[in-house]
Amino acid sequence: MKPAQFEYFDPGTLDEALGLLREHGDDAKVLAGGQSLVPIMNFRLARPKVIVDVNKVPGLDYIREADGMIHIGALTRQRSVETSALVKAKCPLLYDATYWVGHLAIRTRGTVGGTIAHADPAAEYPCVLTALGGQVVVKGQGGEKVVKPEDFFVTFLTTSLQPTEMVTEVRFPKIPPEAGWHFMEFSRRHGDFAIVGVAAMVQLDKQGKCTDARIALCGVGGSPFKARTAESMLKGTQLTDKVIQAAAEKVGEEVEPEGDLHGSAEYRKHLAKVLTGRTLKKALEKAGKIQ
Amino acid sequence: MKLEGTYTFNAPREVVYKTLLSPEALKACMPGCERLEETAPDVFESVMKIGVASVKGTFTGKVQMKEKNPPAAFTMDVEGSGLAGFMKGEGRVELVDLGGKTEVKYAGDAQVGGLIAGVGQRMIGGVAKMMVGQFFKAMEEQLGKGGAR
Repeated sequence: MKPAQFEYFDPGTLDEALGLLREHGDDAKVLAGGQSLVPIMNFRLARPKVIVDVNKVPGLDYIREADGMIHIGALTRQRSVETSALVKAKCPLLYDATYWVGHLAIRTRGTVGGTIAHADPAAEYPCVLTALGGQVVVKGQGGEKVVKPEDFFVTFLTTSLQPTEMVTEVRFPKIPPEAGWHFMEFSRRHGDFAIVGVAAMVQLDKQGKCTDARIALCGVGGSPFKARTAESMLKGTQLTDKVIQAAAEKVGEEVEPEGDLHGSAEYRKHLAKVLTGRTLKKALEKAGKIQ
Repeated sequence: MKLEGTYTFNAPREVVYKTLLSPEALKACMPGCERLEETAPDVFESVMKIGVASVKGTFTGKVQMKEKNPPAAFTMDVEGSGLAGFMKGEGRVELVDLGGKTEVKYAGDAQVGGLIAGVGQRMIGGVAKMMVGQFFKAMEEQLGKGGAR
């Protein structure tokens, strides 16, 4: 399969890349790892007139700790996240989620900024970013802005990113030392798109009372679902099986997934409930065990 | 693919009915509508750009209104095709008078085929629902301006 004809640019600087986006606007598409864009172009579902390949843009490939968060350059490969000691130590939820991102070959090319900008409703990183309340750094003609996940992810493959803008950095909050975390998803085969996935973090005080809870799901709508009601049900309580079960049931009630070939809407609601319960239990087991 | 739901408009039933069948309002409200013409009584031909983000395709389609029972109900026969696939479906629209307000109930079934159905299967239901939402929201704006009389 071959893509429809397009014009190709490989700018050597970020300014040049942004200039091309300004010049071509809606006709242009940014190519980073190409693990989603290239297949949809080859299927001819997408026919961008102009490709702006940003792989030669320097200074977008890094993982560093700053302001209580892990800052990851947009062009950082998912494989670099997987092998980063910093991510494993400070944001193990992101580390765990990376295991579920496609296959090794995909992660070797696929980028952190790419998966965020593509906004696949089943993707893991948008889900983790939403759960933890991270930040997306966007650069455009007007300079730089920092966008919250709930303002960034709009719906299926759609973000608030303008055609003239580019994601340059993604910031994941660190998991606090006394917290537990877990990521879990279900698909028919490992590496397939998640039918439903859950990212969760619970933070406990010395008495074992939950002081903070973060839960988000992928695969249940157009963008990641932040389970705010369930989060507030957990906060301030001892996380007994009963409390976790009630929160999981709430999530199952609140999500409004669509049915497709891979599973009916009812099945997805059921999965959302069961996976939330399991994910929270696993997160609880890990609480206080961070390095 | 089944689509059903309700939407309540803050306008009387006669006005809502007329607006839902008005070519001008339809053109303004159908997401991605580039052209819409009434080629015969109750037959509309249109060109629409449908999709999300970079996954967009141009479809040419035909909508036929039938079994009209003003201002309570009508049925739409829809068919369309483009490079990315084709669709065919039928939907029944019913308008319930809520005393100054109108509840629109819709229920339809569409067959979607081709590329978009194969590769896009995972998102097609959600995107369709989203587009219906956009349509009704735009209709509400039209009715806010008085609608078709």
